[in-house]
Amino acid sequence: MAAPLELSCWGGGWGLPSVHSESLVVMAYAKFSGAPLKVNVIDNTWRGSRGDVPILTTKDNIVSQPAKILNFLRKQKYNADYELSARQGADTLAYIALLEEKLLPAVLHTFWVENDNYFTVTKPWFASRIPFPLSLILPGRMSKGALNRILLTRGEPPLYHLREVEAQIYRDAKECLNLLSHRLGTSQFFFGDMPSTLDAYVFGFLAPLYKVRFPKVQLQEHLKQLSNLCRFCDDILNSYFRHSLGAFSCVNRNQQQTDFGEASLLLDKKRSMPICRNSPSL
Amino acid sequence: MSLVAEAFVSQIAGKVPFIHVGNQVVSELGPIVQFVKAKGHSLSDGLDEVQKAEMKAYMELVNNMLLTAELYLQWCDEATVGEITHARYGSPYPWPLNHILAYQKQWEVRRKMKAIGWGKKTLDQVLEDVDQCCQALSQRLGTQPYFFNKQPTELDALVFGHLYTILTTQLTSDELSEKVKNYSNLLAFCRRIEQHYFEDRGKGSSSIRLS
Repeated sequence: MAAPLELSCWGGGWGLPSVHSESLVVMAYAKFSGAPLKVNVIDNTWRGSRGDVPILTTKDNIVSQPAKILNFLRKQKYNADYELSARQGADTLAYIALLEEKLLPAVLHTFWVENDNYFTVTKPWFASRIPFPLSLILPGRMSKGALNRILLTRGEPPLYHLREVEAQIYRDAKECLNLLSHRLGTSQFFFGDMPSTLDAYVFGFLAPLYKVRFPKVQLQEHLKQLSNLCRFCDDILNSYFRHSLGAFSCVNRNQQQTDFGEASLLLDKKRSMPICRNSPSL
Repeated sequence: MSLVAEAFVSQIAGKVPFIHVGNQVVSELGPIVQFVKAKGHSLSDGLDEVQKAEMKAYMELVNNMLLTAELYLQWCDEATVGEITHARYGSPYPWPLNHILAYQKQWEVRRKMKAIGWGKKTLDQVLEDVDQCCQALSQRLGTQPYFFNKQPTELDALVFGHLYTILTTQLTSDELSEKVKNYSNLLAFCRRIEQHYFEDRGKGSSSIRLS
C-alpha cells in the first residue's frame, strides 16, 4: 500500500476536477476511499498516452477502465463499500448498469455527437490538450467512437434513423435521471451518510453534464430541474474537491480563449468555489 | 405474467417472442410489456417509485451482463461458434447464404462487443461477470418467492427467461449453467415459476424439465 498510485486522466474545467466522466468516477472513488492518488493531468506535451484514459500506474501494474481500477484499489484495501450490506452491493451493480445503458448514450451524444456542442465546446477543449498533429485526429476519432457506440447498442430495429435513435436515447436518459432522483430522495448519498462506489459513478456521469456549458442543453436543463441530484453533485464538489480546484484551474490556461463561459470562469485561488457566470444563451 | 412468460417460452424454442391479440401482433419484450400495460394489466403497479427504480436498474443489469454474456458465448467463443452457432443460425438458408449470413452476424456482434469494451475479454472474464451478476440477483432475491416479494413483476419474467435459457440450452461446455447452478435460490426461483405457470398447461407448450 505504500507504492505510489498515479492516475493519468483528462483535466478539469467549469469547476470540475475533470470533465471526463470515467476519470471523474475514479477520482471521486479515490477521495471517498482515502486512496492517495497522484493525479497527472494530460496536457499537450507528448508525455504519457491518451488512449484508454483513465489509467492507474503503480510500480508493478498498469490498470485501465474505471471498473478495473476500482477493483484494484479495493484489493489494495481502499474500499469505499466497506459498510454496505450484500444487498446494497447488489443494488450498486444494478444501478451502475442502469447508468451505462440508459444515461451514458445521451451523455456521449451531448458531448461528442451533437454538432453544436462538439464543434464549439468539446473539440476545442480536447484539442488544446493534445499535441499537434494528434490534435487534428484524436478528437474526431473519439467522436466517431461515441457515435459508433450509440448506434451499435441502441440503433437496432425498429429504430433505423439517427434521429429516432436520438429521440429514444434522450427519453431514456431523462427517465434514468428521474429514477436516480427518486432513489436518492433527501439522503445525502445513495446508501446513507457515507459515499460509496455508486455515488462515485453517479457523480462521474452527472457532474460534467451539470456543469459544462453547452449550446444545446436539453438534458442539462432536465437535470437542473432535479434539485436533489444537483445538490448531490455540489455537495461532493464542496466536500471532497474544494482544495484541488485551485490546482486544476492552472491547467486551464489554454492558448485558445474559448468564449462560451469558461473564459469567464474565474478560479480565484483564495476562494474555494468558482464564480460561474450564467450564460444567457442556454 | 402468463403472457410475458409465454413469450419467453417461444424465445427458447428459437423464435422471436410475440403475442397475438385479436388482429394485432406485438413482438419483443419491451413493446409486449407496454402493450399489455396499455390494456390495463401491469405487473409493477403495486410498486412505489423507489421500487420501480430498483426494478428498472436490475433489468438493465440483466441486459447488460447476462444478455451480453450470452451473445459473447454464442458468437465470440470459437468452440461454440464452430460447433453450434454457425450451423444453427444458417440452417434456414440454402448454401452459400447460410455461411454468408452467419459470418455477417458474427462480424456484427464482434463489432458491438468491441464498442462496449468486451472485445478484449476472455471467456473466463465473461464467466466471472456472469457469476457476479448471478450473485447480485441471488442477493437481491434472498429468501423471497419473487424479487418484489409476493407478486411477480417484469423483472421476474426477464430473469426467468434468461436463466431458463442458460440452464436448458445445450452448449459445448457446462460452465455457464454451472455458474447459475451455484446459486440455489435462483434455481428454486426458476423451478417455482416453471411449475406454477407452465406445467398446468398440459401438452400445449414446450416445457423442458429443469434437472
